[in-house]
Amino acid sequence: MFRLLRPFEYLEPSCVAEAVEMLVRYGEKARIFAGGTDLVISMKKRQIVPDYLIAIGHLSELDFIEAEPNGTLRLGPLATHARLAASPLVWQRFPMLATACNEVGTPQVRNMGTIGGNVCKAGPSQDTPPVLVSLEAKLHLVGPSGKRTVPMDQFCTGPFCTVLAQDELVVEIEIPPLPPRSAGCYKWITKITATDETLAGAGVVVVLKEDGSFEDVRIGLGSVAPMAIRARRAESLLRGTWPEAAQIAEAAQIASEEAEPRSRAAYRRRMVQVLVNEGVTEMQRQIAASMQEAGR
Amino acid sequence: MKTVATFTVNGLPHEIAVEPHQLLIEVLREHLGLTGTKHSCGVGNCGACTVLVDGTPELACLTLAMEVRDKSVLTIEGLAKEGLLHPLQQAFVDYGAIQCGYCTPGMILTGKALLDDNPDPTEHEVREALAGNICRCTGYVKIVEAVLAAAEVMRKGGN
Ligand SMILES: Cc1cc2nc3c(=O)[nH]c(=O)nc-3n(C[C@H](O)[C@H](O)[C@H](O)COP(=O)(O)OP(=O)(O)OC[C@H]3O[C@@H](n4cnc5c(N)ncnc54)[C@H](O)[C@@H]3O)c2cc1C
Ligand code: FES
Ligand code: FES
Repeated sequence: MFRLLRPFEYLEPSCVAEAVEMLVRYGEKARIFAGGTDLVISMKKRQIVPDYLIAIGHLSELDFIEAEPNGTLRLGPLATHARLAASPLVWQRFPMLATACNEVGTPQVRNMGTIGGNVCKAGPSQDTPPVLVSLEAKLHLVGPSGKRTVPMDQFCTGPFCTVLAQDELVVEIEIPPLPPRSAGCYKWITKITATDETLAGAGVVVVLKEDGSFEDVRIGLGSVAPMAIRARRAESLLRGTWPEAAQIAEAAQIASEEAEPRSRAAYRRRMVQVLVNEGVTEMQRQIAASMQEAGR
Repeated sequence: MKTVATFTVNGLPHEIAVEPHQLLIEVLREHLGLTGTKHSCGVGNCGACTVLVDGTPELACLTLAMEVRDKSVLTIEGLAKEGLLHPLQQAFVDYGAIQCGYCTPGMILTGKALLDDNPDPTEHEVREALAGNICRCTGYVKIVEAVLAAAEVMRKGGN
């Protein structure tokens, strides 16, 4: 399939403000271009035929991975999956994000594709949103009237739809620190294809109290609904309790009912149950073990 | 509108007038005649079009030529030195890791990026690194063997 692209004008803003000006000036005819792993394909298929491409790949102000002393992690939208997966800052603080980034596509796609592109694409099977949802990440957007912040779980509104206005840019992904006695993981299962698209994914964060009860639990589900969602009913069944295996299994069952898969629905639901059950159980054990270690 | 830009390919600067909508693979194959870079799926799945951009494997079918101005691009044609094959190329020949050959340039370049970064990879690391390069012919075993063999040659200072 040697498809060529339709001609367009290639714009290289010198800063974010200029990129926003360009978005305002060219409206629907313009598109932001980051790693291009998604956009070039849509353009080849003529699903998107922009007259103007606003390239941001060279803007160093959008390319960073930074940790604050309090543990907050700030990611520039241009951080690639490969760099996030290899970053000690990410590994130390949020290994589940590194896991998810390492799960995206192939090594070449991870070298090119950015986390900003991943969240803005808002495809239901994207790998970072379920993790970012469970980490309660916030997206910082910039548009002509200034900055605003949107919690990750309010960013997507449907498959490939977000609250991002046509003249706005994502400029940062902020991940707040996790409290003590917490741990998180990303669990997933894929289709067996060339690129192993995710069939079901679960980002699980567990926070224990000193007495071992669940202070908090957050479950983000991906690939099983029009967008990444929180399994809030499952979470509330566990919060404030000392769950044993049966109760965790029941919560996992409820999470699978909260999922709204379109195709292969029964299988995806069943997999949600398995992934959530595994994720919660393992994180509970992991924190308990490190509490024991610390108590010694 | 055409832009005249300098592209560094295989160590040599080329001044070429490109259209913004031209893909790197078009420029390599059509403008520079470097047909070693293969085109297959065109949608990022197969890795046949892999080239190294500043040493990192990227897909020429999804890259705009404009994106690699001021960067260094390595294609399969840039590997042999003074008529001598690179250890990876030699190992692919020696180990029968080439059948139709369509995946080979991408495989070898991805393998080179791996070995430059990790001179002594495990078999698992080789398989992980090559996960984005699809081969319809060999069944991969000989490819993995060839990369491991080349790693050994390179560790001993070959080429
Ligand atoms: C072979 C293959 C396999 C893949 N596998 C996976 C997978 O397993 N999991 C997965 O999650 N994804 C996968 N992807 C999808 C894609 O690679 C990722 O979503 C990637 O992160 C997209 O980033 P990008 O920088 O390439 O985006 P681009 O293509 O540059 O942009 C994507 C969209 O986001 C917009 N955009 C980008 N950055 C910004 C910004 N800062 N502000 C506003 N809008 C912006 C663009 O306008 C465009 O609409 C795969 C893609 C390919 C080709
Ligand atoms: S041709 Fe580029 S990945 Fe298949
Ligand atoms: S040798 Fe034919 S595709 Fe690999």
